[in-house]
Amino acid sequence: MSMIPVLVQREFSSRVKGTAYIVTTIIGVLVFVALSFLPPIMQRISSSLAPGAIELIVYEQPGEESIVPYLEQVGAEREGFIVHPAGTFDESEAYRKVLDEGLSGLLLVDGPLYTFVTTDASNMMLNDEIQIVLNQAVSRWNAVRLGLSADDVASLFGRVDFRVREVSPLGEDGEEIDSAAQGQAMILAYFLLFMIYMALVMYGNMVATGVAEEKSSRIMEVMVSTVKPLELMLGKIIGVGSLGLLQFFIWIGTGLVMNTLGNSGVFDSLLGASAALSSIPLETVLWFGLYFVLGYFLYASVFAAAGALVARVEEVSQVVTIIMMIIMVGFFAAYISFLNPNSGLARVASLVPFTSPMVMFSRIVLGSPSLLEVMASVVILVASVLLGAWISAKIYRIGVLMYGKRLSLRQVVMLMRD
Amino acid sequence: MSLVATEITKRFRDVTAVDGLSFTVQEGALFGFLGPNGAGKTTTMRVVLGIIKADEGQVTWKGEPFHRLGRGFFGYLPEERGLYPKMRVAEHLSFLGRINGLDKHKARREAERWIERFNIGDLSRKRIEELSKGNQQKVQTIGTMLHDPELLILDEPFSGLDPVNTALLKEVLMESHKRGKTIIFSSHRMDQVEEICEDIVLINRGRMILHGNLRQIKKSMGRQILRVSLEGDVDFWAKIPGLDLLASRADYQEFRLGDGVDPNDVLRAAMRAGQVVRFELVEPSLDQIFVEKVGATA
Repeated sequence: MSMIPVLVQREFSSRVKGTAYIVTTIIGVLVFVALSFLPPIMQRISSSLAPGAIELIVYEQPGEESIVPYLEQVGAEREGFIVHPAGTFDESEAYRKVLDEGLSGLLLVDGPLYTFVTTDASNMMLNDEIQIVLNQAVSRWNAVRLGLSADDVASLFGRVDFRVREVSPLGEDGEEIDSAAQGQAMILAYFLLFMIYMALVMYGNMVATGVAEEKSSRIMEVMVSTVKPLELMLGKIIGVGSLGLLQFFIWIGTGLVMNTLGNSGVFDSLLGASAALSSIPLETVLWFGLYFVLGYFLYASVFAAAGALVARVEEVSQVVTIIMMIIMVGFFAAYISFLNPNSGLARVASLVPFTSPMVMFSRIVLGSPSLLEVMASVVILVASVLLGAWISAKIYRIGVLMYGKRLSLRQVVMLMRD
Repeated sequence: MSLVATEITKRFRDVTAVDGLSFTVQEGALFGFLGPNGAGKTTTMRVVLGIIKADEGQVTWKGEPFHRLGRGFFGYLPEERGLYPKMRVAEHLSFLGRINGLDKHKARREAERWIERFNIGDLSRKRIEELSKGNQQKVQTIGTMLHDPELLILDEPFSGLDPVNTALLKEVLMESHKRGKTIIFSSHRMDQVEEICEDIVLINRGRMILHGNLRQIKKSMGRQILRVSLEGDVDFWAKIPGLDLLASRADYQEFRLGDGVDPNDVLRAAMRAGQVVRFELVEPSLDQIFVEKVGATA
């Protein structure tokens, strides 16, 4: 009979009541609660930054053809853009309106020179907005002066109807890609990717530290005389993993509660208003689960081996730095893959075992990797998990009884041959 | 023959910790495993239990290799004591019971029973890290026998215990012994080994020095130790060739008789020197055998 359940239970129950675990769980809950208040706050901030309604008075040299109609045309596509031609107010009245009544400003037109006079000259967003509208208006104006008909101008400056459709080599007809949906998928992928990254770093470290603690408390000798090293290692990994899962459930649960409670919950802020958690496709959740678990097992066994090699708990951080860097590489590879999920880098990184949990998962959410690629990545990953666990268990067996000093890689290889 | 170790050799790179060691332990024996520091006792125990692999040789129990014996067959108290510091005593003990194959309820029951037996009922809710070293050792010792193993292997079980607890542990070991359990323990305290062991093996530098029944070993060493208590000239022995003074105590002197020295000659010399209060030929103590044998190989 395998002792793994007993070991998992011990690991779980001895940590779940620990201060460290409770504190991190509570901090996580607070973060998720805070996040759920973020969207309204962000909205307020961004709306306070946006220029809002723009009201302009335009002064032109007499005799020139007026640009006002074109400004009005372009401005009509934008909310709250009001243009007053010169002559509506006299000059002193115009200045008074700008200074006292909060008009956005005066636009002085002198041949090719346009000067925007405003009380708020440092407001870049306002300036940009004026410039964009003005550029378009001038382009239209020029087009008319060059003798184009109204229809020609309309077709020249009309909006293009742009769609993206993907075909896959497997022959199934590509679905039309909605760019808004694509954006949501990207935010979702990023969010889930970040969860994988966090889980690997947090719980991986917990595994390494736990092993080092068992070593330094000398409980190991009793344990290895009774339980197989592989069982011992798996007990630790699954135990810590289940603590991690519980924590994630609590946090996501918090997010969901805030989501239903609140006007705009955490998932709104992260996924965009229309994509609440309930709209995440089940398929994505399953892929997430698969790569999450496989990635965790792969990294956790490496972390466990690292923990077994150090002599003191204080040395753990030195050894795990290398592993953390590999996780970072995977994270950044996945991040780069976001921009082009089918690039060469993304394809390679989604097969390499240490990066594939993050990269392939992102590709599945964002793009549509071929079935063959996905299967290859899963097979390679599963094989690496098994191989990794086997090698780590061997290192574990050697490391756990070596007290006193840290083992060099060369010593480990030599001992493993025995 | 129950436990048979055959030609065990274990090298750690350039150091040979155990060198072709063979010994046997009878089923139900109380077996002492002796040797000076660094003799290879701990390494041998680890090899026997399969924690580390021997480079050569093998260990069997009734002909079966150790790894086939199944869970809970033995209990092991390593020299490096260690428990999970954050766990509570009762919880920890039932955990140890469970990894040795007891079910949940049995493990808990046995833990309670043993906690009572060792008089640490007031500690059962405490965390291991709150306990004194001696009490931690008691807990760990309980952990080795909670599941009632056939074979107990205890590395220096008495070190760190006060006289009361030493007596208690001896009593518990004797009980297990009477119930037919096999007990192997190492010690450097020869008086304790002498008191409870029937069979011993003495090793030094990874090699076997002595092996067998303690009585017979002592007998084979011959009655060569002489204790004399004399009211008179205590330097009487100086004129007798072949007599070495081993110890001069307040109440008696202890000598080793050299080859061919007749105890009667010594007695006559002593009687001439004064009033003989005590004159006794004794077997060598294990301590003396130990020093003599280890000294000879050093």
